[in-house]
Amino acid sequence: MTSDVTQIAQPGGPLLRVTDLRISSQLASGEHTITSGVNLELMPGEALAVVGESGSGKSMMARAIVGLLPPGVRAQGEVIYGDRDLLELRGRQLAAVRGGEIGLIFQDPFTMLNPLMRCGEHITELLTDGDGKRLSRRARAGEAIRRLAEVGIDDAAVADAYPFQLSGGMRQRIGIAAALARDPRILIADEPSTALDVTTQKEILSRIKELQESRGMGLILITHDLRVAFSMCDRVQVLYAGSVLERGDANAVEAEPRHPYTLGLLLTEPPGDRRLSELPVIGGAVPDPDTVAGQCAFAPRCAWALPPCREAAPLLVEAGSRHASACIRVGEIAQEMRALRQAADHAGAHVLAARSSEPLVEVRGIEKVFGGGSGERRVVALDGVSLEIGVDESVGLVGESGSGKTTLGRCLLGLEQPTGGTLTVGGIDASNYAALSNADRRRLRRTIQMVFQDPYSTLNPVRTVGATLNEALLVHEPRMRNVRQRTAELLERVGLPASYADRKPVALSGGERQRVAVARALAAEPRVIVCDEAVSALDVSVQAQVLNLLASVREELGVSYLFITHDLAVVRQIADRVYVLQRGSLVENGPCADVLDDPSHPYTRLLISSIPRSDHEWLAQGATPAAEGA
Amino acid sequence: MSTTVVTPEPANTTWRGRGRRLPVLVALATIVIAAVLACALLGAAIVPHDPDAQDLLAGLQSPSASHLLGTDDAGRDILSRVIVGARFAVLGPAIVVLGAAAIGTLLGLVAGYYGGWRDSAIMRTIDLVYALPALLVVVVLIGVLGGGYFIAVAILVALTGPVDGRLIRAATLEQRSLPYVDAARTLGLSRRKIMFRHIWPNVMPLIVANGFLNFAYSLVALSALSFLGLGVPPGTADWGRMLSDNLPLIHDNPLAALAPGIALVLTAVAMNLVGDWAYEQLADRGRAR
Repeated sequence: MTSDVTQIAQPGGPLLRVTDLRISSQLASGEHTITSGVNLELMPGEALAVVGESGSGKSMMARAIVGLLPPGVRAQGEVIYGDRDLLELRGRQLAAVRGGEIGLIFQDPFTMLNPLMRCGEHITELLTDGDGKRLSRRARAGEAIRRLAEVGIDDAAVADAYPFQLSGGMRQRIGIAAALARDPRILIADEPSTALDVTTQKEILSRIKELQESRGMGLILITHDLRVAFSMCDRVQVLYAGSVLERGDANAVEAEPRHPYTLGLLLTEPPGDRRLSELPVIGGAVPDPDTVAGQCAFAPRCAWALPPCREAAPLLVEAGSRHASACIRVGEIAQEMRALRQAADHAGAHVLAARSSEPLVEVRGIEKVFGGGSGERRVVALDGVSLEIGVDESVGLVGESGSGKTTLGRCLLGLEQPTGGTLTVGGIDASNYAALSNADRRRLRRTIQMVFQDPYSTLNPVRTVGATLNEALLVHEPRMRNVRQRTAELLERVGLPASYADRKPVALSGGERQRVAVARALAAEPRVIVCDEAVSALDVSVQAQVLNLLASVREELGVSYLFITHDLAVVRQIADRVYVLQRGSLVENGPCADVLDDPSHPYTRLLISSIPRSDHEWLAQGATPAAEGA
Repeated sequence: MSTTVVTPEPANTTWRGRGRRLPVLVALATIVIAAVLACALLGAAIVPHDPDAQDLLAGLQSPSASHLLGTDDAGRDILSRVIVGARFAVLGPAIVVLGAAAIGTLLGLVAGYYGGWRDSAIMRTIDLVYALPALLVVVVLIGVLGGGYFIAVAILVALTGPVDGRLIRAATLEQRSLPYVDAARTLGLSRRKIMFRHIWPNVMPLIVANGFLNFAYSLVALSALSFLGLGVPPGTADWGRMLSDNLPLIHDNPLAALAPGIALVLTAVAMNLVGDWAYEQLADRGRAR
């Protein structure tokens, strides 16, 4: 009934208008800014992307619009929908808008659905007939099947399935169907594909795009990926440390970004089609909004920053038709920025010199089976995989979740015990760590080390960086004398100041923690480092820094890498040879450029076509049925 | 949940952020605990009267200036006896807390980190202890072993330790799956170092918070035993004992029975409050975001 009351203020006006939205949280240290004065307009039927790295405040902004801020966080400003300010609404009124008028899709499909509710119930829970009465059981069942078909699920049995029985992609589709069940006029999607495999990501995104267009809904897509934003949305708004730095039509921003930060984001994204000798980087990390209050938020990391940039927060100024940038030097530096973009676009592929092929790590027909005991489910994680890593060689291991790529890495380190096959590392049989002599095991530890994925739990939270590194040094050389000095050298080697030794991990950004993790691995002076998705949890601008660090470490120390990742664009930058793994079996391998430019296996082709691209065709050819089991 | 949202006027907003200043309730509880500790340590030095001095002529007095809480039937000063009673109220529970934490930490870390047969053996033993009705076992054992406060304390340690072990095992399992533990393993650290240097500090908050709860529980349990006549010998200034000894005096000097009871409840509640608060504080330490 609320939809009858809500009228669009004036035809042709925006569907949703956010004015001067300021979000802050209250901590012991006082008030803490999350966003400072964000404006946003969404026209009917328009797709708007809000792009930002972690800490930009993009998710909080979405939550503020629908009144779902966590306790202790509050919003000021105006969120006008129709003729009402959503920030003023309470309780029932707000609940009616949420879901009824504005649908929401969240990032994590694994926790977004109630595990005790069948999928059909999620969709039809709040459906009513014209008089506001709840639908009959039969009508609900019919409606659930119809809605599922809309998101591409033709199997009616799914409506009766519980969420745990479905894959992540299927669950995300259920989430979309539930968000759209009451035919909202606006859909807010917060990183809807980030937690999914690459092949599923493309499918989910093209599904959302298709539904948005066919229903004429307004869409606010929150994402960290500019390429996804460009391919899906009409307009783009770039958020950084709580303020808008650039906004404009997607085509215009893609053709010529007018803010140094947007340009930086575009350049640091590893290109999928060629290898660069060094990735461009934006130095530093996303700052706390409070530390850059009253100045250009990007100034501390900006190559063009001048004193005036630090004197006042710049306003958005027109920089072309329907294109605005919050850079006071937008006119002066346009030429330089254009040149930089062109140089990057034409940067030649970096041709690799042939390396020696003396094998350092040899994996022969490795098998790993989990479970299989009486009554247990038997999962074959690795089924006869063989690979080799040469001295001073960087090898990529690519696959989606469940492909067994991480298990293989863990077997090499003795964190898992392979069920069959042989592993040889530096001439030592590493198939069974427990059976090794102490001396051999110690030699193995000094030959192979690992860097883990999650920067937030890879370091012990209660120990300082220095304690972590000291320990890593002393375990290999208990009688080392100059430990403090060696720790300082390690920190310097990974580009951190020696004073970081006294810090606890909580005081470090994600990229810095990952650098410490690299330093810890280097403490053993290993000959091979297994990097398990070492950059996938990092922001793009930081990811490039860590990739460059890994490249320089290899250059200087001659370390070999086994680089485990799902991201083919990253593999292109770091690996000499690549192995593609699908459900525990190798499907293809060869020199990196050969495999990526001319894939022979359909699965490799599917992976390559799933790398996000900026053009609209990327999604148009999208709804290819992804290789995934329900 | 939608009520906590976006309030234009900050006046009626309740902040639930973490790491604020000491909440009033916790401050009060801390004062109570400090007072009880002071009484336990200083005891005899700060009492207005000798707690055991009998004065039959001054029996069963109501509160007055010289006897703030009155006297019992033997003319002993109630206030002095409550103050001295704090010693038993702190000593026994403190032993239970430390003993149980030591046993529980060892069992929990080993079961959780090693897994396998050690885990099975430890957990089945713990299940067995769980299946025993604790207080009943104490009553029976004391009946067999012939009573006494410290025997009761020892039995409580033996019964509480395994229960803690189960809790610490769960916390250890959670930590064990984190990459920092894998990293320590790939460095080649010994299992003992990983358990005690890496995992233990991260399950510490739980051990501390649980210690406070154990304190409250064993204080009540020991007092109950004294009340039943199974703890301290008759005539001892112990809160549980006083409660039972002075119960018949409830009409003549109600405070003789109420005062130790109130002291008991206040201490137990204060311990719970501080325990919960300490957990929140410690759990935030070093945690990201």
